[in-house]
Amino acid sequence: MAEISIRPDNNYQLKGNTIMNFQLTEEQNLIREMVRSFAETEVAPTADERDESEKFDRDLMFGRLGELGLTGIVFPEEYGGAGADYLSYAIAVEELSRVCASTGVTLSAHLSLGSNPIYLFGSEEQKKKFLTPLATGEAMGAFGLTEPSAGSDAGGTKTYAVLDGDEWILNGSKIFITNAGEADIYVVFARTDKNAEKHHGISAFIVEKGTPGFSFGKKEKKMGIRSSPTLELVFENCRIPKGNLLGEEGKGFKVAMKTLDGGRIGIASQALGIAQGALDATKKYVTDREQFNKPLTAFQGVQFQLADMATQVEAARLLVYNAAYRASAGLSYSQESAMAKLFASETAMKVTTQAVQLHGGYGYTREFPVERMMRDAKITEIYEGTSEIQRVVIGSNMMR
Amino acid sequence: MKLLVCIKQVPDMESKFRIDADGVWYDRGDLAWRMNEYDEYAVEQAVRQKEQAGGDVTVLCIGSDQVKETMKKALAMGCDRGVHIADSHSYMKDPYQIAAMIAEFARDKGFDIIFTGMQSQDRGSGQVGVMLAELLDMAAITTIVDYTYDNGSVVVQRELEGGVKAKVKAALPVLVTCQLGLNTPRYPTLPNIMKAKKKELLTIEAKMLQSTDSMQKTVKMALPEKRVGGLFLEGEPDSIADRLIAILKEKTSVLA
Repeated sequence: MAEISIRPDNNYQLKGNTIMNFQLTEEQNLIREMVRSFAETEVAPTADERDESEKFDRDLMFGRLGELGLTGIVFPEEYGGAGADYLSYAIAVEELSRVCASTGVTLSAHLSLGSNPIYLFGSEEQKKKFLTPLATGEAMGAFGLTEPSAGSDAGGTKTYAVLDGDEWILNGSKIFITNAGEADIYVVFARTDKNAEKHHGISAFIVEKGTPGFSFGKKEKKMGIRSSPTLELVFENCRIPKGNLLGEEGKGFKVAMKTLDGGRIGIASQALGIAQGALDATKKYVTDREQFNKPLTAFQGVQFQLADMATQVEAARLLVYNAAYRASAGLSYSQESAMAKLFASETAMKVTTQAVQLHGGYGYTREFPVERMMRDAKITEIYEGTSEIQRVVIGSNMMR
Repeated sequence: MKLLVCIKQVPDMESKFRIDADGVWYDRGDLAWRMNEYDEYAVEQAVRQKEQAGGDVTVLCIGSDQVKETMKKALAMGCDRGVHIADSHSYMKDPYQIAAMIAEFARDKGFDIIFTGMQSQDRGSGQVGVMLAELLDMAAITTIVDYTYDNGSVVVQRELEGGVKAKVKAALPVLVTCQLGLNTPRYPTLPNIMKAKKKELLTIEAKMLQSTDSMQKTVKMALPEKRVGGLFLEGEPDSIADRLIAILKEKTSVLA
């Protein structure tokens, strides 16, 4: 715990009466302590083995999170949530990802992507029926937006839905879907107006696992986050109730973009956790490892590298926590979450690469966790908006 | 049933410790703070006792305002209410003074079972629990590693030297001090962390309690001297073996 350098006494009184408060609340500190203890005791011991065997351990990586109240952190108690804030959520994803990025993304995809759009856009009935089991951890969530020809360009969605009496009929496929196969409830995007311009004719739907016509395609073999399942969703004349339309018909693009604003906080937190985990592992390694009859830490060149790594991680943390704070406070956070995601994911890549370098030959082997962390870090620059798309978001917000 | 659990906030044991300017305690700046590990077993056992036979668990902690965060953890684990004895100099007090403060609070409250850790991870005196029991005129059973409650009595196992265990039975009221291995403390779940802030947390100023004189004081505190590094023998196996035997003969009695 001593590694976290946002200090308990960070509380700056600025000129006038403005207080800029960097102090975490007692609850946030306790949540970090609890999640870290759980992560180190229960998640970390099998992280390497699950990575190696590409095994998703549902009881551990989702069931236990539900028991601890992590699956519905930010949702109100009336829907089975814990009523905590986004910063608590960011801290939880960070701490899980510090030892296992696959477990971190399982929570992030479930909460930010699978559950949050139902909370933000769902009807009261939809919230009771779908959000409550998601928040309590009875059901797991996932999100289907990406298609073979619609990645960064979500407007290119080809999956379509037509209304037939009291049912929507879905046809098409979604790729690279985190939690797919395991999740019980999916928020899926499909074109409902073929004549509308790109972004306008898209609608969001809630699809339950087991619905006839809804199946799963191939499981991706990935470079990193290998114990998190990534599959294709296939819809072949899949009929869902009319009431499963999420939000207004034709306004699905807005649902997707708003959801991704929040999702970025989750992935930024995951990236932050990976970077912190690599920094902690490296600090330990260079303290124990001796070369030329001295511990590596005695070399100033090593200290300088550690200093740069720690500074980047701390900068990422402040960006991530600020975005999460703004989301909790009801302030706009699209720009801040894009900046946090961009910076934290690039930091994760840099810091894990440096961590492998400082471990030398050992760092390149699977004997040390930094090898896994470096592979895990790469995806944070790609999914839920590539670094390039984050720059597009940031740049276009600036030009408004 | 009225249950009391006494906890202490201590530094994270992975912290880097420095001796303070007076040379009698560790420097308290720049540390991360936790619940004393043995007190976590005490909290867990108190909550289990409540879950088994009903009752009300009060958690008590002495220290500055900062200890409230640790008390919140105990409340999130299932304690019903908190009593904070506000004393920013409690770390300077000896075990008797601490026990006397708790006893003064607890004396007329009619607690049936009191749970404490077997010792604190920083002071390590192991005295507060037993002194408290003495001051309250109740039995104390120390270093328990197993606990059952049945019909007005507790039956515990105590851990003795060499792995020997003793089974001890006592009627209420009783105080037990809890040792590693007694239980696995639960994680405070997120909803319970959020609910903890709504639980009663009463603060009593230490100066409102009768002061007692210390009976002992720490004169000096020092970090252990750095150990001399090990001896590395290099060369051919034959020569290493000969030199090793020579060293063992000279410096130890294993080959004598």
